[in-house]
Amino acid sequence: MTSTPVSRPDEVRRYNRSSLLRLLHVGGPVTRATLATELGLNRSTIKTLVDGLAEAGVVEERVPRPGRGAGRPSLLVLPQPQAAVVLAVDVQVEHVAIALVGLGGLILGRNSWNLHGRTGEPGEVITHVLESTAWLAADLGLKPVACGISVPGVVRRSDGQVHEAPNLRWSEVALGARMSAGLGVPVVVGNDAELGALAEHLRGAARGASDAVFVSADIGVGGGVIAQGSSLRGSGGYVGEIGHMVVNPHGRACYCGNVGCWETEVGEAALRRALALPQDSPRGAIVVELRELGQDAAASLARLGEFAEWLTLGLVNVVNLLGPELVVLGDLFTALPPALLDRVGEEVRTRSMVSRAVGGVRIEKSSLGADVKLLGAAEAAFEGVLDSV
Amino acid sequence: MSEPILHITGLNKSFGPVHVLHDIDFDVRAGEVTALVGDNGAGKSTLVKCIAGIHGADSGTIEFQGREVHIRSPKDAAQLGIEVVYQDLALADNLDIVQNMFLGRERGSAWLLDEASMEKAARETLASLSVRTVKSVRTPVSALSGGQRQTVAIAKSVLWDSKVVLLDEPTAALGVAQTRQVLDLVRRLAEQGLGVVLISHNMADVFEVADRIAVLYLGRMAAEVYTKNVTHGQVVELITAGRSGDIGLARPEHAVL
Repeated sequence: MTSTPVSRPDEVRRYNRSSLLRLLHVGGPVTRATLATELGLNRSTIKTLVDGLAEAGVVEERVPRPGRGAGRPSLLVLPQPQAAVVLAVDVQVEHVAIALVGLGGLILGRNSWNLHGRTGEPGEVITHVLESTAWLAADLGLKPVACGISVPGVVRRSDGQVHEAPNLRWSEVALGARMSAGLGVPVVVGNDAELGALAEHLRGAARGASDAVFVSADIGVGGGVIAQGSSLRGSGGYVGEIGHMVVNPHGRACYCGNVGCWETEVGEAALRRALALPQDSPRGAIVVELRELGQDAAASLARLGEFAEWLTLGLVNVVNLLGPELVVLGDLFTALPPALLDRVGEEVRTRSMVSRAVGGVRIEKSSLGADVKLLGAAEAAFEGVLDSV
Repeated sequence: MSEPILHITGLNKSFGPVHVLHDIDFDVRAGEVTALVGDNGAGKSTLVKCIAGIHGADSGTIEFQGREVHIRSPKDAAQLGIEVVYQDLALADNLDIVQNMFLGRERGSAWLLDEASMEKAARETLASLSVRTVKSVRTPVSALSGGQRQTVAIAKSVLWDSKVVLLDEPTAALGVAQTRQVLDLVRRLAEQGLGVVLISHNMADVFEVADRIAVLYLGRMAAEVYTKNVTHGQVVELITAGRSGDIGLARPEHAVL
């Protein structure tokens, strides 16, 4: 057995500092005492680190309200959002949203616009994002130090190349390279569902769950997998196209070239069909219809029975394959009537043998709402930032 | 399904001898941003004021959620869940955010206001819209920027659980960056399932957020079109000439004046 190389003291300090920052970034304000317990470090080490960070303006210390415990209360350490700001971009099929997100995951300013016709072309989107970012950053007096972008498509993580984003009609777009040239900061590009999973894992419903799957329905259906506490990427980072599991060999043609992909049965278009809405009705109309239906449990089960069956079927496959403790449903799925989701959850728990084995997989709605991908993109950008703040 | 939440048919309005609105048919759908555009004097603001109960209409019917209603005063409109956000007059400068959001509808007894519950509700509403730029809900409105004021005015409509929000040029007094932040909020209101009407002069704004565009031309509804089916040029043509190709009003020689 070889001995581990000895770390130099400054390396140790840098490591401790970035783990402390990560804890504050994800967990929010905590006391010095909690930091010491969580990180397993000496109180004086914590004091040195926190003092250094406070001097740099990254954290602030405050005396907490007197608690019930005896003795002098430990100082509360609060991350300062303005100390490190990243740009988060969420490219969706029908609109683009950008946000400046500060340390601790706080959205400091935001912007969005609809895409139609030519404005959805890669060049137009990139120009608009750069321009809007400049306005927003100037207005808030902040400068982003990194950028994360969520794209509904197949993305190469290493350099941000978008291979295929069929719903956007993009193919082979060097998004990472073009954006980092325009912004002058490092850019991370990720698949939307993968970033959604990351956000749910760090800040949402899947907090504390080490194995979780995030399934979201936009125009298409995508999935992101958290396995043993970190993102499951697969070779090249292409894991998660669960919307293209073939579930119905006699079903509809999918744009990907297959027939009967899951998303043709549970995606946005399928929901419009199930609700008998015109195919060009906007997203908001679907949400309204679903919310009204949510008032009446029996009617929702009757009208969306077939839809629920396809949702169950796909989820059973997902649970059997990945064995998560929790499945988080995002985007349009969050608008589904509660009665329907309960029914789907029960069905999945009875039909999936993996679920029976682990004692019942939980199926929950996303708790981050429409911002989930934006927050995920921000987290992806923060990954490289926390070490250098 | 997908009945319009607000359905107006044959609305007429005159001020003395001036016939401002001619047989207006206008729909607002929940979950959509409908832009109301038109040249100066086309009747946009008058139409909004008729819906908001500030002016009474001379004739025509207004259906709200499928029921015919009579809106005789702003109070009637507010009771139905129709909220209006004006360009600049929306808030009282000397009051703070909470007081503004609850102005005229304060919680608590006649002797003691329930400040804590109002403050909590205001904070939760702003958080639900992910508006975190405002430091404290006890900041007086006079200390806010133009964009933040509009944000508070719009948040008010969410707090009161409105079904329809009419925004009368909400960005006219704002700079570019602030305009975009307000438009972002407008789009997210519709995503929450509200029916949103946006009056604007700015074509770029309209194309950024609107799902549908309704064009008024000299007091007549020239066209109601889906944004994705039309171009900038067509909408400008509709505004200035009342027609563009096959859409819009009939040719003047056929029109009954």
